[in-house]
Amino acid sequence: MDNFFDPKLIVAYLPKLLACLDVTLIILVSVTLAGMVLSLLIATFRLFDIPVLKQLSIMLTSYARNTPIVIQMFIIYYGLPLLLNAWFGININTWDKLVFVIVAYTINSSAFFSEAIRTAVLSIDPGQMEAAYSVGMSRLQAYRRIILPQAFVIAFPIIGINISALMRDTSIAYAIGVMDVVGQAKAIGGRSFHTLEAYVGAAIIFIILSLVFEKLFSSIEDRLGRKYRTT
Amino acid sequence: MAENIEQRKEYAVSGNLYSQVNSMNPSIDIGFIVQTMKMSLRYLPATLLLSFVPFLVSFLFGTLFALARMFKVPFFARFCSLFIVIIRGIPVVLLLFIFYYAIYGGIDVLAKSFDWKVASKDFSPLFIAIIALSVNGTVYLAETMRSALLAVDKGQMEAAYSIGMTTTQGLMRFVFPQAIPKALPNLCNNLTATVKSASLAFTISVVDLLNGALLYASSNYKYLEAYVAAAILYWLLCYLIDKTLQWLEKRFNLQAERTTL
Repeated sequence: MDNFFDPKLIVAYLPKLLACLDVTLIILVSVTLAGMVLSLLIATFRLFDIPVLKQLSIMLTSYARNTPIVIQMFIIYYGLPLLLNAWFGININTWDKLVFVIVAYTINSSAFFSEAIRTAVLSIDPGQMEAAYSVGMSRLQAYRRIILPQAFVIAFPIIGINISALMRDTSIAYAIGVMDVVGQAKAIGGRSFHTLEAYVGAAIIFIILSLVFEKLFSSIEDRLGRKYRTT
Repeated sequence: MAENIEQRKEYAVSGNLYSQVNSMNPSIDIGFIVQTMKMSLRYLPATLLLSFVPFLVSFLFGTLFALARMFKVPFFARFCSLFIVIIRGIPVVLLLFIFYYAIYGGIDVLAKSFDWKVASKDFSPLFIAIIALSVNGTVYLAETMRSALLAVDKGQMEAAYSIGMTTTQGLMRFVFPQAIPKALPNLCNNLTATVKSASLAFTISVVDLLNGALLYASSNYKYLEAYVAAAILYWLLCYLIDKTLQWLEKRFNLQAERTTL
């Protein structure tokens, strides 16, 4: 145990860890895109008071927000094959583990995104809707042209925070055996017994990633604010 | 017992362990979910310890950090900002792992070089989880408290100074009583977030609600049922916390109305 912590090893491990960064980014991008679509649906169900679907959306949002993401991930991992097998007779046991991770995280993040979108839409002055009606727009037109663009500007900072949180949460995917940065760090640790250095290396990657995201989102926020500032 | 081990070996050899059991028993066992919930409720104290102690510690440190940044304390304020940037970027799992290996490895190294009579195995991973979760929570609580303190009008502090109060008195009597009700919705989010991240302590083999359910299920591989049971318990716990804090918020608001009238 003489070399308990060797900073040189962190530098040595970084390339190996960075090679697995693509998995994290694949999860992040696909979850963000799918989550946006699903969250718009959920927000619509709730805003337009569609019976049954609204109650289901509330249940789903409450479940996703009030249970740990590890548990949600494992429930999808064990439950989805069972469900699809029982209902449609499809065997998905051989599918890539990444699919289960993406499904679980999409459900989780769509709950958070939909809350951001819903509260943003509700925060818009009802006068805007009335103004849209007064110039002869339909409800759908009013939402698409007047309400949603304004709501998006309000919701964007919260969605940005949620995306950064999602990026950090993807680190849990290693638990079902996905080879992402954390999975690779664990593997390096298992081979070399320098587990601490490998994890510190992974942590450095995540710190840099979240700094990059923060800068990116705040610059987009600035641009959105400038573009849509009401005069 | 021996039979059990034989079975396990068989499963391990034949590949996907879960699908093997699945094909034998394709339906979800509701009775086992209820049983698992009862069994894992025994470990509820561990989960509560893992969520409330880190929450209180991070509330204290978070408030301290927020005050340091508000009053621009030289050096310490910059340290706080740096600490927040670094720790906020690290996922909770990694933080748990880093603390686990650093503390366990570090104790053994120190004990060897100083001839202490302590070894890493004397320490429970529960302590390490509490430390790591407190460090993680401090970052989020610092942000919550900062925004709550900034939301209190500056004139309040000036008013306190004008009647001869010290900074501590002004903070304790004027600023905090106004800032805490403002912070309550965010504090509620922080608390449920701590409860949820406490479930990750199973990665460093702490036996809490989740791990209790998993241990109980390890005898028959009904992991789906175990996770569902754990999900229901966490859902209830977070729901209760949410409702309690909403009630508190309402009471605070009523009190505020009464005092202003």
